[in-house]
Amino acid sequence: MKTKKIRTLTLLVLVVAIPWFNMDTSNDYSIPKVSQEDTSFYEVNPCKISLAEFLLSNPESIYQNHFYFRPDNRSSIQCFGRISGVTVLQKNLETQFFISVGTSSLINLLLQALIWTVLFSFIPQNKELEKIKDTIRYKNIIILLIAYLLTFSVYAEGRFYEQNMYLVDLQVIKTYLLIFSLFTLLVKNFTDIFITRSENIVNYLPFIFLITGLFSGFNLTFFSIIFLYYGLQTNLIGVKNRVFNYTYITISVWWLLNSKGSAFFNIGKLRGFTSSIFEFNANLFWIVFTYLLIRGIWRIYLLNKESFSLSVFTKNLSITSGILLLFGIVSANLPIFNFINYYVLGLQRYGVESKTPFAFDEYSVKISWRGIFPSSETVGEFYGLCLLFLLFYIFNSSKITFVNYIGIFTASLGLYFSDNRTTIILIFISTLSYVLVLNRSLIKINKLKVVGFFAIIFSFTVIYLAQLNTSAPGYEFMSNSITSKALTFQKEYAVSSFNSLISGLESSHTASILFGFLSFIGYLLNRSEMWGLFVARYNPTFNELLFGTGPLNFGQLYGEVPVNSPDSLLLPHSSVLSYLVFIGLIPLTLLLVIFLKDLYKNRTNVEFIIFSIYISINIFKNDSMNYFSPFVMYAILYLILRNKKDSVISEKLFLEK
Amino acid sequence: MKAIANICGVQPEGFEKTDISSDPNFVFKSDANYAATQLFDIEGNTVFVNSYLECQHYVMGGWDYTPLKNAEILLQESLFYVVATLLVVTFFKNVAARFLIK
Repeated sequence: MKTKKIRTLTLLVLVVAIPWFNMDTSNDYSIPKVSQEDTSFYEVNPCKISLAEFLLSNPESIYQNHFYFRPDNRSSIQCFGRISGVTVLQKNLETQFFISVGTSSLINLLLQALIWTVLFSFIPQNKELEKIKDTIRYKNIIILLIAYLLTFSVYAEGRFYEQNMYLVDLQVIKTYLLIFSLFTLLVKNFTDIFITRSENIVNYLPFIFLITGLFSGFNLTFFSIIFLYYGLQTNLIGVKNRVFNYTYITISVWWLLNSKGSAFFNIGKLRGFTSSIFEFNANLFWIVFTYLLIRGIWRIYLLNKESFSLSVFTKNLSITSGILLLFGIVSANLPIFNFINYYVLGLQRYGVESKTPFAFDEYSVKISWRGIFPSSETVGEFYGLCLLFLLFYIFNSSKITFVNYIGIFTASLGLYFSDNRTTIILIFISTLSYVLVLNRSLIKINKLKVVGFFAIIFSFTVIYLAQLNTSAPGYEFMSNSITSKALTFQKEYAVSSFNSLISGLESSHTASILFGFLSFIGYLLNRSEMWGLFVARYNPTFNELLFGTGPLNFGQLYGEVPVNSPDSLLLPHSSVLSYLVFIGLIPLTLLLVIFLKDLYKNRTNVEFIIFSIYISINIFKNDSMNYFSPFVMYAILYLILRNKKDSVISEKLFLEK
Repeated sequence: MKAIANICGVQPEGFEKTDISSDPNFVFKSDANYAATQLFDIEGNTVFVNSYLECQHYVMGGWDYTPLKNAEILLQESLFYVVATLLVVTFFKNVAARFLIK
């Protein structure tokens, strides 16, 4: 077994390393060093020098921070692993060298899929392989359907793929045949691997925060194949969920009928989990994708709920947390490692360039540091979650391993680096509450509930009265912060319908008071600017407000109303607002009702309550649900924790598995 | 039009487009100021053109390939055959194994 693992690991290292040695043996080049004055050699000889040769000639590019290696997906197959161009830029006093490395999109599909499939094979196999019989029904049909769906996504988002493929004519059927066969091959091989490991998928979920699995040059996540597979299978074998199916299909019809016009969206760091264009075909793909994803998550939960092991899950959270931090630091210091990480782990964004995670700005405010993850807030959430599960595990098992210590240390450090203050406070409060609840012998739970309830009511009253008496304009200012920010962003000739709706509310109106309170919360959470920008942009019709415009599609929001926008892409910074755009007010309210019902039903399940509150607050103020990894992990954890009526973690089996 | 600019260069000043298709006996005149350009078709055949007009005419007629472009098309086709072979092997390896055991 060990020999097999070593052999696999050697193969993996070779697969990762060999492509970057693709040199042009027909000529003997004398490779000069890149310099600010002269890059002519690289202009005259594009795609002639391999990355390895470049590094040998320019060893300082390995560690000097003004070198930036970037994948060039729009390069030829022959150019793979070679230097396709060098650009010199002057930024203040720093001379930056951008080195483009040929990474043909078509080859990426094969190479990256091979890397991730090999990595996935390290997950232990199911104990009883006989049990997988159910999950291999219709396997080959499902593989072909997934390959077809993924090929359709290339067709639907042609505008995005035209920019990422070299000499690939997306108007001819031959191209799609090639892409379809590539997808079929990789889906087939991956399916064979994950089906025999299906029992452990849930326990190894934390690793999707480390290996995001995004194909370079594609708007697709490799690991979504697992969910698409199970999602399709539930439909083929007839696992019924009528309410969800009928509701989803009905709303889908509306979304499709409403998909008029065309609005392009620069997907940026949301790549892999958002549509690049608001159009009929793209909307159709993302509607089907989301449907299968949700059904796949549900199916995986049903199949694997018994095999979830808190000790293994916590161990993997700790390991992931440690590696994330380590890779983040190494990436920030070694440009070449930044590139390799981006490619091998399939990241959404290049690792952070700031070498010092302890840095403060000129106003002594901590600069958030995200490492290799695309968002510092979301990675902070992940570190917080790691601490939360370590807390559950250690308190209940009374055991702590060396890996757990690593988890505590790296997650705490990572959380501090990410500067996610809400998470820091939430973890502090969660720890206190959890310890209090566990010590029921010291404090009677009923008394605690009553005291807690009155304390919260009392605090709110005191805050409200204090605001009212001492600084009345303060509350008024804060409750108007979103609308006033929206006014600064809106252009005179283009006012969004949502902005008009809010501005038109009478001050005495209940809706106005409610929105004022939300605005006040937004101000406290430092969200006035982002939510104000959202209000200035969001321009739904009445039906769109009620039912949304389609899942994972920002095209309309960002393409419809021009605003006096900041230079960079600013997301709404609230998953609730994002999902308001996607699915509208009515489904969102339904989800809220289901959530509150779950909370009530599971009121004795302490871990579920703490986890749900932690996640919901973060979702409210962050974009985390717009990323594939948190979406999948939160959904599965929510389902697993939800259906344990009492304090789940204390169940012996759950712990000892 | 972009292909013409890329391959034939900038259009000379005062250039007038001639409808060559209506004249089957048209003979291209060499332009002393125009550097001879080598053109390729999809099969790798090659021709030298000596004027902007001639170059434009050939490029519009499908001689807009370059060795790099041809190599890429060949590689993409090869990739398809490799992937197709691998697919056949992966899909039928179990069937073949079962057959051999029997």
